[in-house]
Amino acid sequence: MRTLIRFAAALCAAALVSATAQAQQKEVTVWSWFVQSTMEKSIAAFEKAHPDIKVKYTYYNYSPEYITALKAAAASGSLPDVIGLQPGSLTQQYREQLASVNERAAKEWGADWISKLAEVNRRQMLMGNPKGDENFYIIPQESQVICIWYNRKIFEKLGLPAPKTYADLKAAAKALSDGGYIPMFQGAADGWQNENVFLMLANQFAPGITDKAQAGDAKWTAPELVSAMKAWKALFDDGVFQQGALGAHAYPTGAQLFAQGKVGMMALGSWWMQESKFPPPLSEFVQNMEGFDFFYLPPVVDGNPASPPVGGIDIGYGLTRNGEKNEAAWTFLASLTNGEALQEALNDLNDLPAFAGHEPKGDISDHVKQMSARFNADLVKAENQRFAVPAVAEALDNALAGVASGSLEPEAALAAVQAATDKALGK
Amino acid sequence: MMTKSARRGLRFGKPALYLFALPATLLFVVFIAYPILWVAGQSLFTRTAEGQMVFAGFANYGAVLSDPAFWIVVRNMVIWGLITIPVQMVIGGLLAYFIERHTYRLRSFFRTMFFLPVVTSVSVISLVWVQIYAPYYGIAQEYLKLFGITMSFSPIGDPATAIYALILVNIWQWTGFSMLMYIAGIANLPSEVLDAARIDGARGFRLAYDVVVPMLAPATKSLLLLGIIGTLQTFPIVHLMTGGGPNRASEVFGTYIFKQSFVLGDTGSGATLSVIVLLVALVLSLVQIVFFGAQLSPAKRKPE
Repeated sequence: MRTLIRFAAALCAAALVSATAQAQQKEVTVWSWFVQSTMEKSIAAFEKAHPDIKVKYTYYNYSPEYITALKAAAASGSLPDVIGLQPGSLTQQYREQLASVNERAAKEWGADWISKLAEVNRRQMLMGNPKGDENFYIIPQESQVICIWYNRKIFEKLGLPAPKTYADLKAAAKALSDGGYIPMFQGAADGWQNENVFLMLANQFAPGITDKAQAGDAKWTAPELVSAMKAWKALFDDGVFQQGALGAHAYPTGAQLFAQGKVGMMALGSWWMQESKFPPPLSEFVQNMEGFDFFYLPPVVDGNPASPPVGGIDIGYGLTRNGEKNEAAWTFLASLTNGEALQEALNDLNDLPAFAGHEPKGDISDHVKQMSARFNADLVKAENQRFAVPAVAEALDNALAGVASGSLEPEAALAAVQAATDKALGK
Repeated sequence: MMTKSARRGLRFGKPALYLFALPATLLFVVFIAYPILWVAGQSLFTRTAEGQMVFAGFANYGAVLSDPAFWIVVRNMVIWGLITIPVQMVIGGLLAYFIERHTYRLRSFFRTMFFLPVVTSVSVISLVWVQIYAPYYGIAQEYLKLFGITMSFSPIGDPATAIYALILVNIWQWTGFSMLMYIAGIANLPSEVLDAARIDGARGFRLAYDVVVPMLAPATKSLLLLGIIGTLQTFPIVHLMTGGGPNRASEVFGTYIFKQSFVLGDTGSGATLSVIVLLVALVLSLVQIVFFGAQLSPAKRKPE
């Protein structure tokens, strides 16, 4: 009997200790569309370094699940502590529900913390803020550079060099098609992929012109942008993109075909390197990214330079008004963007670090390390990839689809984008 | 036997009886009435450049109705409804008739097979059909190749064909539902009437057209009502396959409202469109109830 009483007392004591420990453990709630397996590694690393904090992560598909969940939670005041964000329109939609992170960041990383971010990232963090509002509502975690990836093994097999001129590009596309491959896979049913290629083209004709146009400092109907739109149409007409591109999606269709070695080229970003970290079986091309390398879109007309790198923030995080009251939330956000949790994401080659001074570690080939270093060097001079106002991006998406399908002329299509911009800017 | 006054007492005299209606009333108020009123309220506000919501009266309605995109959506919805509803009914009805009348041991197999698309995830259906439509590396192309045909374009990538290509997928998915409704209708046909018709000499097409089809009118009317509501609710197939593109060629109310509200963050415009769709659905439902009235509801049928 006495043994039984002792056993019961011990059980009660253990339960009490456990309950106290749980009560002392702080919880941080996080929502994002960020790859769940990688986020779990980041959280594990964070919780190891901060055993008193428990992170509860909820993964959503970006569209429509994530953006509708955010909207509903914002309307009911039940946003989690930390939310995944893209700069510009998504951040601006929730600005009222987000806390400024300027002071916390300065306290955490020093007064010059902002200088550790690429210039394009800094601009994107403020994108869409009302005039005079210098607060940051998003801390970037990862950056990206958009480029043209190509399958170097297929190119080698067909005796093709990486294209340096538009003639090279067309010749490569023809050789690939003749060889039974898809030349350049364009998921033109996805607005984002079309925007990326158009930004490459536009910045060939006049660097920075799309930024000026969306800010109202240049016209979308400017000759340079009309030329870029004509060059966009030519990519379809000249057989650079695959037939029926307007009905195709970059993910999962294009990415799968590209990974399997059925596609010669594809306009993607630095995030493509993460394919090599996916669970096996991996194709011979994806294994250590041995089959892939990248180049920037060659000059589409004589006299143009090649497209500059285009990019900026891939994903960032915001501290919500609810999270502002939870000190642990900032601790996690700081780790996720510039600490041990970030390192795990980089080791998975998820994308490039937003803050300088980090690099992927672990089982990574020299080829991947070299490409990662090239991307990081190019990020510094990258042109902005993002739009401050979603209505302008949507108008551009419609214009690009209309021109590609032949239902709109470049001038008329760009006039519609200008009208949407004027409306958004209240002109 | 209960007297008239006792029955009146049961209906009006005991307020406690109203408590039985309370759960349903509460659910209706919280999940239907309140959201509708909230959305209707939002449709009267607009967001300023600074992000403030300000009262705009009916300005959102004027802006939506004068936007050419709205009329493209209306055109697409009309095309969608005019094609999908009758085609699904006809094919579903024929399938039901032949399965019920001309199959015996494999009846369950055919019923299940034709109903399978209805219970398949829309995401899977969309992915598969995108692959089917893909030119020169797609599934359809693999078979067309056997006949020397090369698909040179994607039906969902061409503004002229995108909406029809999506309608085809919708018909493929939902015909099984029409079939099931007609199977239920056929199972309930009184055998005496059919026997009498046969004795009178009705056979084959004549029996189907003059006897079976009129007797299946309740199922047809229910499918019409559900078809119109389903048309107005169309979203996932379009969102996943074309996103409403290219250049709005396949935009429907669902994708348009989603873009305005969640992608562009224009809640006022999204709410306005939702109210317009609600009114359209209400008017169309009322018209059907006026025309078909009591026959839509078994409870309202006259006692035989």
